[in-house]
Amino acid sequence: MPTSRAVALVTAAARHRITVDVILESGRVVSAEPIADVGTVLVVAAPGIATRAHAGQFVHVRPGQRFDPLLRRPYSFNGIDRRKGEIELLVKPLGAGGEWIASRRTGDALDLLGPLGTSFVIHRASTHLLLVAGGTGIAPMKVLAEQEAARRNVTLVMGGRTIHQLWPAHRLPPAVEYVTTTEAGSFGVRGRVTDALPQYLMWADQLCACGPWPMLAAIGRMRAEAGRATHLVPGRDVLMDAQIAVEQHMGCAMGVCRACVIVTDDGNARVCREGPVFALGDVRFEGGEPATVGLTA
Amino acid sequence: MPWRRPRKRVERASDVKRSEEEALEQKAEHEEEDQATELAALDGASIVEAATGERDQDRGPGDLATKLRDAVSGLDLDEASAPDVASGRASRPRRPKREAVEAAASYERPLPSTSGASASSLSFSPLVEAGVDLQIEAARGLRLKNPVLTASGTFGQGVEYAELFDVSRLGAIVNKGTTPSARPGNPQYRIAETPSGILNSIGLENPGAAAVSKKYAKAWAELGVPVIVNVAGYSVADYVTVVREMEGTSGVVAYELNVSCPNVEGGMHFGCDPGLAADVTRAVKAETDKPVIVKLTPNAPDVVAVARACEEAGADGLTAINTVLGMRIDTTKRKPILGTGSGGLSGPAIRPIAVHITYRVAQAVSIPIVGAGGVTCAEDALEFLMAGASAVQVGTATFADPLAPITVVEGLARYVRENGLASIRDIIGAAQRKRAKEPETEYRE
Repeated sequence: MPTSRAVALVTAAARHRITVDVILESGRVVSAEPIADVGTVLVVAAPGIATRAHAGQFVHVRPGQRFDPLLRRPYSFNGIDRRKGEIELLVKPLGAGGEWIASRRTGDALDLLGPLGTSFVIHRASTHLLLVAGGTGIAPMKVLAEQEAARRNVTLVMGGRTIHQLWPAHRLPPAVEYVTTTEAGSFGVRGRVTDALPQYLMWADQLCACGPWPMLAAIGRMRAEAGRATHLVPGRDVLMDAQIAVEQHMGCAMGVCRACVIVTDDGNARVCREGPVFALGDVRFEGGEPATVGLTA
Repeated sequence: MPWRRPRKRVERASDVKRSEEEALEQKAEHEEEDQATELAALDGASIVEAATGERDQDRGPGDLATKLRDAVSGLDLDEASAPDVASGRASRPRRPKREAVEAAASYERPLPSTSGASASSLSFSPLVEAGVDLQIEAARGLRLKNPVLTASGTFGQGVEYAELFDVSRLGAIVNKGTTPSARPGNPQYRIAETPSGILNSIGLENPGAAAVSKKYAKAWAELGVPVIVNVAGYSVADYVTVVREMEGTSGVVAYELNVSCPNVEGGMHFGCDPGLAADVTRAVKAETDKPVIVKLTPNAPDVVAVARACEEAGADGLTAINTVLGMRIDTTKRKPILGTGSGGLSGPAIRPIAVHITYRVAQAVSIPIVGAGGVTCAEDALEFLMAGASAVQVGTATFADPLAPITVVEGLARYVRENGLASIRDIIGAAQRKRAKEPETEYRE
């Protein structure tokens, strides 16, 4: 395929993925199921948002009807079922708001604002997709796996502290090849996802990742090293081209409050608007964390 | 080749409202994209297809009013006007711009003097507030169609929430604090939740006055709602520079001087000292003919003295109040949560403080006051109005309930109607203990 056409297609897709199409919708909880230490999986009937949602985007959920707790909580889609008009959220009961949302049960209403932010763009030419998930970062990776497993080879590398923090494999599409890592080695490869990554990189032609900042920073370091190397590094192109979804303390999620900014090559970027999906190469890291805002204009 | 988002070329459709010509251009562009999408679909289905295949052609980002009507159920429709609107909409289903234009026109229109006469002039609108006299004077020389404003820093440049509802239904919007040159803002974390409120320390991140004026002039002209520019700085010259830069920008009707930002070094300096606050006010007044509002800080040792000084220096109005200094500690890390340590507290938690200051300042000055601090609904807004404010700003509540500003407008309209008031102005200052004379914030012809 001529490169120019490939670029044109990707550009078209990229343009579409930042088309704002946000709505306020009152969803209804269809089912709520706690999964070990991963979190509670809420299936919510929200046809308006379900038809608009894409992998990597998120929904801003109001914890209650009053103003205490005040802030909505952002959750990446953990599943998108356009046909049934349902979305799936993976909710960790963190803080008062998270606890309220995680304790919703079948039939309860949920005030949703979304879909928000950018989504992952999978190149048409990719035949082997490599997904990397750390902890609750599994959510957008699971959506990608479900959408892409029928079209190309999908390998999912997921890591957690113990087996209890890992997404259950039987809840993944059967066609997905998965690799697990645990820090103590209780299940799968011992270590972190980045320890298991190199051997899969050389087979993949596209990489998408979501997880805690230290994990993303580690992949960022792999990319920087591959970029600097003078010899041939397997999987170099895949690293250079990687897309990541990040998280940050968030306020409005509509792009007005600028609470959720991170530093990119283009200056400050709002995770709720320019993100949460970024090109790995654009994001600046500092140690295992996002670079400090405010040092550069 | 590394994958790059073509960011520079992509103007978010929502950032700037489009003119008709641009809309056509964009439409043509979309058609090109759609062709590309078809190719993609033929060559093999992918997420590209998912992203593009289902685009709803009918919904532009400008299609606000329709969206809002869907979102807000139970609007009490004006019987006489409903068929008008329905037929109007049916005849041009693909002209989302229309309603925005009409809304803008409603602002331009000479304001109705009493509720009786206004029903016919606003007959195209099925809105709750239609036909209710909500006009107020938010500052000397700044007459608005209703007393609901948005608070600076919680409404961006006004275009963001325009994706969600019809911002032209608001009295005015106040933009994000604008400084002479671009500021990157404070280190993370910038926000922390507190009981019924939030602490923030954003640090006045903004692209600078020249960039704001250039980028948003067009959007502001088309928003259909007056824009008040929030001016921030470190010196008298800074404030003057921003105002000079913003003069002539379309849509801008007034300035709000942010002499009270607690999150940048020296930001609160001007608001704490009556003499300095007066200096800034005087300098800005000399620079512009537009109304100048000074935003007071509750962190000043004597806020009433600052208010008086501003009035004497020529301020046309006052906003009470900015955020209250506060701090939260992360007990695991044993350090403050916010990157700068302390931040500004906002939300319902500070409402009693804000109402009290409004009440005291209203007794001390004769210029209009805009109440701000934890307004979430009409009931809250009424507290401020009765304390002596002529208008209110809705801020933090918008984060939890994006439709909160609209809810307040509708709630106030219902209050006026249900209580048989001639206008919302009748309740301004109603709670003031001594009313030797008419409330001084009274609307003047």
